[in-house]
Amino acid sequence: MTDVPIPTLRQRLNDSDLWLSFKASPVTIVAAFTTLLIFVLAFFAPVFAPQDAFNPAALNLMDGFTHPMERGAGSNMLFLLGSDAQGRDMLSALFYGTRVSLIVGLCSVGFSMLLGISLGLLAGYLGGRVEQLIMRVADIQLSFPGILIALLIFGIARGIIPPNKHETTALFVIILAIGLSHWAQYARTVRASALVERNKDYVQAARLIGIRGLAIMARHILPNVMGPVLVIATINLALAVIEEATLSFFGVGMPVTQPSLGTLIRFGQQYLISGEWWILLFPALTIVILGLAINLLGDWLRDALNPKLR
Amino acid sequence: MTQPVLSVRNLKVEFVTRRGILRAIDDISFDIAPGEVLGVVGESGAGKSLTGTAIIGLIDPPGRIAGGEVLLQGSRIDNLPKEAMRRIRGKRIGMIFQDPLTSLNPLFRISEQLVETIQTHTDMNAQQARERAIGLLTEVGIPAPEKRIDGYPHEFSGGMRQRVVIALALAAEPELIIADEPTTALDVSVQAQIITLLKKLCRERGTAVMLVTHDMGVIAETADRVAVMYAGRIAEIGPVREVVQHARHPYAKGLMGAIPTLETAADRLTQIPGSMPRLTAIPKGCAFNPRCSEAFARCFVERPDPIPVGVSQVACWLYKYGKEAAA
Amino acid sequence: MTTQPPDAFVTVRDLRKVFDVSKPWLERTIERAPKQFLKAVDGVTFDIRKGETFALVGESGSGKSTVARMVVGLLPATDGTVMVDGISMTETANSAAREKLRRRIQMIFQDPYASLNPRWRVQDIIAEPIRAFNLLSSQKDIADRVGELLTLVGLSPLDGVKFPHQFSGGQRQRVAIARALASNAEFIVCDEPTSALDVSVQAQILNLMRDLQDRMGLTYLFISHNLAVVRHMASTIGVMYLGRLAEVSPAKEMFRNPRHPYTRMLLDAVPDLGMSGRARIPVQGEIPSPINPPSGCTFHPRCPLVMDRCRAEAPLAIDGVACHAVQEGRQSAMAARKSA
Repeated sequence: MTDVPIPTLRQRLNDSDLWLSFKASPVTIVAAFTTLLIFVLAFFAPVFAPQDAFNPAALNLMDGFTHPMERGAGSNMLFLLGSDAQGRDMLSALFYGTRVSLIVGLCSVGFSMLLGISLGLLAGYLGGRVEQLIMRVADIQLSFPGILIALLIFGIARGIIPPNKHETTALFVIILAIGLSHWAQYARTVRASALVERNKDYVQAARLIGIRGLAIMARHILPNVMGPVLVIATINLALAVIEEATLSFFGVGMPVTQPSLGTLIRFGQQYLISGEWWILLFPALTIVILGLAINLLGDWLRDALNPKLR
Repeated sequence: MTQPVLSVRNLKVEFVTRRGILRAIDDISFDIAPGEVLGVVGESGAGKSLTGTAIIGLIDPPGRIAGGEVLLQGSRIDNLPKEAMRRIRGKRIGMIFQDPLTSLNPLFRISEQLVETIQTHTDMNAQQARERAIGLLTEVGIPAPEKRIDGYPHEFSGGMRQRVVIALALAAEPELIIADEPTTALDVSVQAQIITLLKKLCRERGTAVMLVTHDMGVIAETADRVAVMYAGRIAEIGPVREVVQHARHPYAKGLMGAIPTLETAADRLTQIPGSMPRLTAIPKGCAFNPRCSEAFARCFVERPDPIPVGVSQVACWLYKYGKEAAA
Repeated sequence: MTTQPPDAFVTVRDLRKVFDVSKPWLERTIERAPKQFLKAVDGVTFDIRKGETFALVGESGSGKSTVARMVVGLLPATDGTVMVDGISMTETANSAAREKLRRRIQMIFQDPYASLNPRWRVQDIIAEPIRAFNLLSSQKDIADRVGELLTLVGLSPLDGVKFPHQFSGGQRQRVAIARALASNAEFIVCDEPTSALDVSVQAQILNLMRDLQDRMGLTYLFISHNLAVVRHMASTIGVMYLGRLAEVSPAKEMFRNPRHPYTRMLLDAVPDLGMSGRARIPVQGEIPSPINPPSGCTFHPRCPLVMDRCRAEAPLAIDGVACHAVQEGRQSAMAARKSA
């Protein structure tokens, strides 16, 4: 009766639209490769970094302000991207800094996804007052720039947490702040998709056999609304990294002991006028490349998942 | 024999996709004589709508005409520049689509749309064009056309809108009308009215009609000749009575038996096993061979071309080699 | 409290559904517009015997799908009762019995592309009712049962691991039928089960549904706009027009001798595939908006037998026909005109 053969996983991958469109786009391949490289270098920073950059014992003050591609005066070590005032290898600093930036980015995106998807599903499936409440809060939130909301949440958190714990809690506070400033977008998208899915007959069929609302939301509707969410999540990852950098640049983000790319830029701009350009340039460049690569991936994902463009 | 209004010769349409080139229409040929209604039937994926789209030159990339000719009154139109083709559409070829709302602009009054069409294609002044528009609306059976003409499309019911679309298609007195599923979106009781109207108006004017539909009943009521399409090819083409009552191609035969009718209350309907192949997996040889109960060796290797059988043309090896070969 | 006639399996009494189609409160207040209501179903009554197919036919806006959704309990009725095998679906008392009944009532939907969750494997789709009603507990038993169901509807047990998009429309509808049978349902509501399918596939599905009915003694409520399909499937037919039943007759009887003028009109509108050249009265007019239906008998603006009484007074169903003209014996006038 059936003439459709059962495909293996490999065949399914080879045959999937996602893979075909990926192969067809050189820009996407370059972007994916770049992103992957940055992720690997950042997360395995201790392995790849030439220097344990944020351990004061590993630094040699005599190496201070070494130019890129030159050897340090103290340790005679080669500084590919130069060093800062304390003789810290900029390349190693970048690896560690990117790691902090990416952890903040990924965690805050995960947090805002969790929050936004749950609230969006509730709003879309339940409707009525719950929907009104959730969506109005989302509207209000969306009418302010994300960075302002993050700053506000950051300020409140600082007020509540005792000052001696500021440094240890900084990572969590900033994840919370950025995460809370982005959930509304997910909630809106998920609600809109859930409204469409809710009326489809497969949901009616599940209701017919007495499946409860929560189970329908989690098992039937959720898998079908994840497409657009993943696109937003990818683009928001770049946004979150940049937002964290902005906060850190203002000095309200990551502390000096755990510098992120933004913290590195804040240091670097002090030296720009005196001619040590590399301390600022390389972290800034990293942010631009990382943001661009992730955004390109997001664009590709959006087009690939859009049935109209297939 | 008079020159046909439309001649399609060995038309091929392809789609360039990531998975390679897919041939959606594969070498089809037919003629439509003046005043004739040719019904094109087939199930979804047979390529019937695409044939209409190809004739009016509206195939968008990644689709393309990969071969063959389309002749309107003996002159080729498939290779005309876009602008020349745009003038032919509306003036010499009228179009009626399934959803009347795709043909009517919701922002303009019916009068503006009709008058504009008439003035684009004739040299009437505004007053004459308006009178002609009212005349057309009367002809398509819209009550109180002098009043209704200034209404907007959303103020008309589905059936009335389709009447307006017919008026719009007839406005420039075209030689050919391509009607793509004109009654599918309508209720049964309205469908009958629209079919009758379309047939009457075209007969009066001698307009040739290509009626694309999946509904065999509509074809039986309206068409003079019918082409049955399967997987991008014409399986059988012939006078409507021949094809409906004595179909020869095994697919056409199966299709006719599969349609429940009011006249026969058979306990079981004839059924064709399986379903139409996807474009990515069209079988070698005759595309119908996996579903055909009469297929023999040749059907799996070589593709049959249409050959005359009685007054019809049938693309099936059975009629070239006889049933003995099949045994 | 309604009781069922002795031979009825499903009983629907005076079923009504009113939708509030008013504009939002603010707009309404500004425009001082009154609330608007749409009587989608306006007093529908019928019985279905066990093992029979009862068809509801009608054009769009006739309320046939709304009746279907109320009968299975997906849509609460505004008024009226639905009873299946002696248990009321509409009364709130005795909810435990109603829960039990749920297993025995299933539905097949129109669009097999929307009625199967695209992210689920077919085996999970079919197993969902089995798991939901705790019919089988071990994974192996469930897998065996799914394989059995797939075979029953003409698919291979190996198809279970595939996703819906790997199937054609007809195969998907087979999967939907297998799901409906998974909980051993006895009463299946079919809402236009073949109108999204091609004719050759439609024939497969209709044949399958009849075979399953014969084998398992299923009772069908069959919703369709296609009279020819209904003729092939149904033993009793109800013709709906603007939320009311115009006529309820045994199928053979209705096609031989349609009584309500609307039934005649519908039959005449069906394209004549046999090209028998049978005499037909041209159909007039279109269905009015159900928000402001015509007074009296809602069919009166299109009816060839209309008279003053029809404009004022809605006819009650007597002997299965709701028509003043038929009840007064005037339908012979129409038959005379037809033969002329």
